[in-house]
Amino acid sequence: MGIKSFSRKRAIHIMLVYTGGCNGCDIEIVNAVLSPKYDIEQYNVFLTWNPREADILVVTGPVTRFNEDPLIKIYESIPDPKLVVAAGACAVMGGVYKNIHGDIPSEEIMGPVDNVIPVDAKIPGCAVRPKDILSGVVASLPVLLDK
Amino acid sequence: MLDEKKPRETIETEIPLGTVHPAALEPYRVRLFVEDEIVQEAEITIGVNHRGIERIMEGLPVEKANALTEKVCGICSNAHIWNSVRTAELGLGIEIPERASYIRIIMGELERLHSHFLYLGHGCEVLAHETFSMRAFYLRESIMDLLFMIGGNRVQYGCSIIGGVRPRCELTDERIRTLREKLDAVEKGAADFADRVTSDTVFISRIEGVGVIPQKQALKLEVTGPTLRATGVPKDFRTIMPDYEPFDFNVITQQDGDVKANLMMRVLEIFESIKIIRQALDNLPKGPVVDRSWEMVDCDTVHSYIEVPRGTLYHSYALEDGRIRGSIIRTPSMSNIGAMQYACIGDHVTDAQLCIVQCDPCFTCTDRAVEIIRR
Ligand code: SF4
Repeated sequence: MGIKSFSRKRAIHIMLVYTGGCNGCDIEIVNAVLSPKYDIEQYNVFLTWNPREADILVVTGPVTRFNEDPLIKIYESIPDPKLVVAAGACAVMGGVYKNIHGDIPSEEIMGPVDNVIPVDAKIPGCAVRPKDILSGVVASLPVLLDK
Repeated sequence: MLDEKKPRETIETEIPLGTVHPAALEPYRVRLFVEDEIVQEAEITIGVNHRGIERIMEGLPVEKANALTEKVCGICSNAHIWNSVRTAELGLGIEIPERASYIRIIMGELERLHSHFLYLGHGCEVLAHETFSMRAFYLRESIMDLLFMIGGNRVQYGCSIIGGVRPRCELTDERIRTLREKLDAVEKGAADFADRVTSDTVFISRIEGVGVIPQKQALKLEVTGPTLRATGVPKDFRTIMPDYEPFDFNVITQQDGDVKANLMMRVLEIFESIKIIRQALDNLPKGPVVDRSWEMVDCDTVHSYIEVPRGTLYHSYALEDGRIRGSIIRTPSMSNIGAMQYACIGDHVTDAQLCIVQCDPCFTCTDRAVEIIRR
């Protein structure tokens, strides 16, 4: 383990990007990090809103048209090595917005996240449960540290 | 203030925030026009999250569309499916079993509790009071456990179906016991929280008189829900909903319309909701929870309103061969955006975020009616 991985291990920063889901997943993720019950911070994982500081990008939502370019921009401004975690059914496969429709399909959805940026880990669920987020993020840490 | 504001030419500095911004959980755009660090004019733009949910509902079978409405909002998901199912029931003339109606109300009130705790937690975090925020989030967790127990999921419960509630959400004796126990604990915790908030003079001095919305202005801007009640207007849709007739509860009002009034509003409403749930548990009627003997007929556009944690929610659609036609959803945050803009005016620019958060915004569910033209 190099000195970089060594220090990175003590302060993993995840950045949450919200691309137009229903809010359920985001609140669960913020809940998992900040609330006293789940508290991912005890595993040295912190929430940040600054892409240049982030190691893991957590994306929720099906990527609406307006969010496509900002998402790519945010992805590009994260320094290497980086991981992308798609959280929730919307981010993993487009969710209800892409897959269910009546007479007219929605043209607003550019997702799933796979279509826009490369994804390393997927956490299913609608909405994702805090425990799944915990295990998803913790399981992806070795990948990040070996990079 | 808005009435006596100066013409736009004299406002020289503009501070744009968003759309993806650290201080805001949801993507939206705020433009603050400031002079001497005092906000003179604020402008909120939404539309980033447009998913076209009303359009994809067009032509779906009604049961499927009901499940889809739940995905409009991740905070009050139960309210959306409840109101959508209610619209269909009003159109088709379906009477639901009394027990189902009680269970829906219990779910609705539990949802109000979790939403209000989220508001308190988020509000205290914006105020940078981490301890209060943690306390609110911790209390919220017990409510989430209850919702998980009844609905089987932490966010999208899918409780209401046409004709009643899903048999999964039946309240067994054991569940009722757990509900009572946890509610007692939550009530104690909420009383403690209220006590601490009101006795913390530093905290109170920080929120008193910030982001004032006068009553006249609130009525003019068609503000709904607790934000309106915090200005002294006792308007609550629950008082005229037939579903809530058997229950005895007070409509809470506050006078000042500032952040303190809004915060206290939510704290006091938590106790009222617990009261309603207790009454429902005491008088829970026996019988089936779902009546599936209804028939599908065509109907013209039906309108349905219910009171959700943030105000009055409106759904309407017509049914044709069991399919949805012309669906319209109006969420309470839509009408509260005016209040958010108004609350920022006249306050320091650092308080702008607080002034917006005090109106309990949920822009995700509001982002439907916007037309986006791509250049
Ligand atoms: S996966 Fe479900 S809960 Fe998460 S954003 Fe999508 S619809 Fe909402």
